Amino acid sequence: MTTESVPAGGDPRRLLSDIRSLAHQVRLDQRMTWVALLVLGAVTLVGIPFDWLGMTVHCRPDTSCEFARRGVLLYWPPALLLAYTAIAVCYMRAARARGLGARTLPYAIAGAATTVVFTTAWIAAALYFPDHPLPDQPLPYRWLILDRLVSPWSMIGIALVVLARIERNLGLLLFTLAYLALVLLVLPMNEGWGLAGWELQARFAVPQVISGALLLLGAAGFFRAARRQQR
Amino acid sequence: MTTTNGTPDPEAGHPVTGLDEVVHQRARLGILTIAHEAHRVEFGYLRTHLDLTAGNLSKHLSVLETAGLIEIQKGYEGRRGRTWITLTAAGNTALANEIARLKQLIARVETTNGQ
Repeated sequence: MTTESVPAGGDPRRLLSDIRSLAHQVRLDQRMTWVALLVLGAVTLVGIPFDWLGMTVHCRPDTSCEFARRGVLLYWPPALLLAYTAIAVCYMRAARARGLGARTLPYAIAGAATTVVFTTAWIAAALYFPDHPLPDQPLPYRWLILDRLVSPWSMIGIALVVLARIERNLGLLLFTLAYLALVLLVLPMNEGWGLAGWELQARFAVPQVISGALLLLGAAGFFRAARRQQR
Repeated sequence: MTTTNGTPDPEAGHPVTGLDEVVHQRARLGILTIAHEAHRVEFGYLRTHLDLTAGNLSKHLSVLETAGLIEIQKGYEGRRGRTWITLTAAGNTALANEIARLKQLIARVETTNGQ
């Protein structure tokens, strides 16, 4: 019972160092960051045709247009819930195969919660605006950002921050902050983006292609990093 | 000499007197650390990462289980037998206490060296 039990000089420091490196190794072995990004990137790209085909546009003679993105509301809630379930299952299976448990519950809860927030906000907007005047354009900046924040693309980022916290993954945190900055501050996810003459559906597709491609690029990067660490 | 519950009191004597003999051992500390971080861990993972023989690891696990710090579940996945180890609440507390004591020891050594 007492083998090696009395610390020799310098042992406490070495024991603590051993503890930290073991804990770090376990965290590395539990990570499947690339799977999460791959699934979310694929879900983003698959969602584009749903948005395109489900969008209703009414343009007036003064060239102003009203639109409703029904496809987003129909596609994203079930797609996100399925995606988070698939990611949690992949994490659990991979960890189990390596002989470890997985802490995916907080991520799954965060994913479900952000899905509920986005769905509630979009349903509320869909119910409110047909009977009320539209807000003055352009929207104040803070409202523009809030509108982008409750979009599915930003909610993906919020859930990824939770995943980065669970994994204590600084790389994922930095990637997610860059992704969130892009979809909140740079890409006009709620206004569309494109060349003059493009129809509204195409303008809304461009930011989604960019955010989806970024997630897939992130997946490729984290996959390569994971492979390098395993060697 | 053995404390398994409660937070170590920095004023209560030398930190060495608070060390838990069951926990204060490299392999057992490693088992508790991995089980804490992984939520649950399989026998093979521990053997590989702690570089122990199966017999040696079994002895350490037995000591920890007897002390109520871990729970051991044996089962099958297909035809393959698997043994899963989970940390108990007492094991969690014992690990936290051990880490706190080690930090105290280091702090005391550094203070002594600085005088």
